Amino acid sequence: MSMTRRQALASASAAVVAGGLAKPAIAASDPIRVGYLPALTGPSSATGIGINRGIQLAVQEINAAGGINGRQIELITRDTQSDPTKAVNGAAELSRGQQVSVIFGPVNSGESLAVVPLLARTNTPQVHPCWVDALTDPQKYPMCFRNAPTNQQIGGAANRYVVEVLNRKKVAVISDTTGYGAASVNAYVPMLQAKGAQVVYQGNVDAANPDLKPELLRMQYAGAEVIMPWSVNAGFLSRIINTRGDMGWDVPIVGQTTLGSGQTKALLEKPEYWAKVYPNNFRNVCYAPGGKLPDRTNAFLDRLKSAKIDMGDTLLWWVALGYDSPRLIAEAMKNVGTEPEQVVGYLNKLKGFPGVYGDITFTPDQHNGYPDEEVVMVEANSLKDGAFNLAPGYSA
Amino acid sequence: MVESIVSTGMAIGCIYALIGITYNVMFTASRVFSFTAGTLGMLGGVLGSLFIAHMGMPVAAGFLLVLAAGAVFGIVTEIVAVRPVLKSLDQHLYVLSTLALALIVQQFTAIEWGTEARPFPRLFDIPRGGFDQQFWLPILACVVVIVGLELLYRHTLVGRAFLAISEDNYAARALGLPERSLRMASYALAGGIGALAGFAGGEMLLAFFGNAPILTFYGFVPVALGGMGSNRGAVVAGILLGLFQQAANFLVGGIFASVAVFTVFIIVLLARPEGLAGASLQRRV
Repeated sequence: MSMTRRQALASASAAVVAGGLAKPAIAASDPIRVGYLPALTGPSSATGIGINRGIQLAVQEINAAGGINGRQIELITRDTQSDPTKAVNGAAELSRGQQVSVIFGPVNSGESLAVVPLLARTNTPQVHPCWVDALTDPQKYPMCFRNAPTNQQIGGAANRYVVEVLNRKKVAVISDTTGYGAASVNAYVPMLQAKGAQVVYQGNVDAANPDLKPELLRMQYAGAEVIMPWSVNAGFLSRIINTRGDMGWDVPIVGQTTLGSGQTKALLEKPEYWAKVYPNNFRNVCYAPGGKLPDRTNAFLDRLKSAKIDMGDTLLWWVALGYDSPRLIAEAMKNVGTEPEQVVGYLNKLKGFPGVYGDITFTPDQHNGYPDEEVVMVEANSLKDGAFNLAPGYSA
Repeated sequence: MVESIVSTGMAIGCIYALIGITYNVMFTASRVFSFTAGTLGMLGGVLGSLFIAHMGMPVAAGFLLVLAAGAVFGIVTEIVAVRPVLKSLDQHLYVLSTLALALIVQQFTAIEWGTEARPFPRLFDIPRGGFDQQFWLPILACVVVIVGLELLYRHTLVGRAFLAISEDNYAARALGLPERSLRMASYALAGGIGALAGFAGGEMLLAFFGNAPILTFYGFVPVALGGMGSNRGAVVAGILLGLFQQAANFLVGGIFASVAVFTVFIIVLLARPEGLAGASLQRRV
C-alpha cells in the first residue's frame, strides 16, 4: 500500500506528539521532585538565606515523618544568585530538564517578573512569596499562587495604621526614583485620599541625594503629621530618619519593612532616632503587647531552637514563610497526588491553611492567599530574636 | 536654609571638583577622559569603611591605604584601559575601555560589598552639629589638592615634565622625557585624588557602590563647565554646581532639582562651549 506525503507527515507528527506527551513511569516510592529557586548568593540574598532556613527545616521534618504518602520530598535547588537571567535559566531547567512536580520561588520580585510568564507556559504549578501585584493573575497564570501579601496589602496596612490608628490626616508620601518607589507612591496616594487623608507632600527623590533636609522642610511647612517613605534603599531611609532627628521634628515615620532592617539601623547617626519608626510586618510573627508571640509561633521557635537554626542575623517572618511553603505544597500533594492539574485544583479551594507566617486561602479567582488583617506595623527599634513588637495601637 | 545650602552645597561641590580634577589629571597625561574617575570616588568611600570600620584599622593607616589603593587602580586603568587604545585616540575607543573597566569594578564591589549603603566611620571624634566634619572635610581635601597640584606643576621638575607631555608629548619624548612612566605616575596621582574625594565625602555619601555612576556623571560637569584640563576651572565650576544643586533642592525639590542643574549646564555650554576657564583651541589648517 502506497502512502502519500501528507499521510507520512501526519503519521510522523502524531508519533512526535505522542512521544512528547509520553511520561516516564514513576514508581510509587520514588521521591517527589520539588523545584526551588532561592537567591542564596548575590546582592538580594538576605531574604533568600532566611527563607532557606525555614524551607530546609520543613522538608527535613516532612521526610522524617514519612514523606508525602510514603514518598520523600527531593528538593532540587537552583541558586538564582539574585539575577533574573539565572532565575529564568533555573526555572527552565527545573520545569523541562528535571521535570519537577511544582516550583517554589523565585523569592525576589525582579526574578519572579521574568520567571512567572515562563512557568505559565510549561504547565508547572508555582508558589512564590513576591509582592509585586502583577505577579499573580488567575487568567494569565492559572497555576501560579502567592503565599505572601501584595504591595496593595502592604500599602493598605500602612495607610490604615496612619489614618485609623494614629489618627493622622495630613500625610507626606516620599519615595526614591526607582520603579518600585514611584509605583508605590502612585498606588498609595489615592488609597490614602480615599480614606479621608490629605496628602500634603508627594515626591520622588533620587536615593543618592545626600541631603534630604530640603524635602523634610517642605513636608514640615506643608503641615505633615506623618512621613510615609516607600523605598527598599537603606541609605535613603536612614537619611530621612537622621534628618528628622537632626531637625528635632517629632513625627512618626510609617512605611516599608526596610525601615526596620539592620542595614538601616547601621546608618543611623544616633540609636534614639529609630524611635517612632513603624515598618510593615506580619501579626503572627510579632510580639503582642505584653511581649508574647502567638502559640503557633512559639511552638515554631522551639522547633527552630531544637534544630539549632540561628536567628541572630535574620528575620522571623522570612524563616516562617520558608517553613510554611513546602508544608503548603505537601498538604496539596498528600490529598490529591502530584499531577499539576490536581495540585492546582486543590490549591484553588485551599481555605485557611494554618501557616506560622499567616493563614493562607485561595479561590479559583484569587491566587493572593495572604489575609489583609495580618499585615501590621511594628516598632522598628524593638527587634529581638528576629521579631518586632506590634506598633502602638494594635490590640493583642 | 542659606546655611544648609552653603554647607552642603560647598561640601558636595568640592567632591564634584575633586572628581573633576581626577578627570583632568588623567586627561592632561594622555588626552583620554577616563570614566573610571567616579569609580575611584566610590572606592574611596567603600575602602575607607572597609579598612577603618570593618577591619578596625587606625584612621591614618586606613587613609593611607585608601590613597595607595586609588593609586594602584589608577595605574591599572592606564595599563588595561588606556594604553591599548592610545594609538587610535581619534576613534574614542577609550570611552568603551574605561567605561567597561569602571563597570567591572562597580559590579565586583556590588557583589563583594553588597548593594546596600553602609556607614562610613566618623574620622574625628568630635560631637556632631553646626559646620560638621562631613562638610568641612571635603572642602579641606579640595584646598589641599588644588594647592598641592599648583605647587607640583609650577615648582617641581616632575610637575613641569607632566605639563610638558600634556602640551606636546611628541616633543617631550624627543627631548628624552619618559612619557610612559610620567603617564603612569599621572594616573597614580589621579587615582589618589579620586579616592581622596570619596574618602573625604564618605560620611555624606556613605560607602555605597551606586555612588560610582553618580560621581562619574556629576564629576564630569565641572570638567565641561570649567574647561578641559583646567583644575582651577574644575574647582570653581564644581563648587558652583554644588551650590546650585543644593539651592535647586530647596527651591524646586525632588527630581526637578536635577532637571534644573542640567538645564543650566546645557545653557552654559551653548553660550561658552570651551568652558568657563577654557580657551578656544586653534587648529592649524
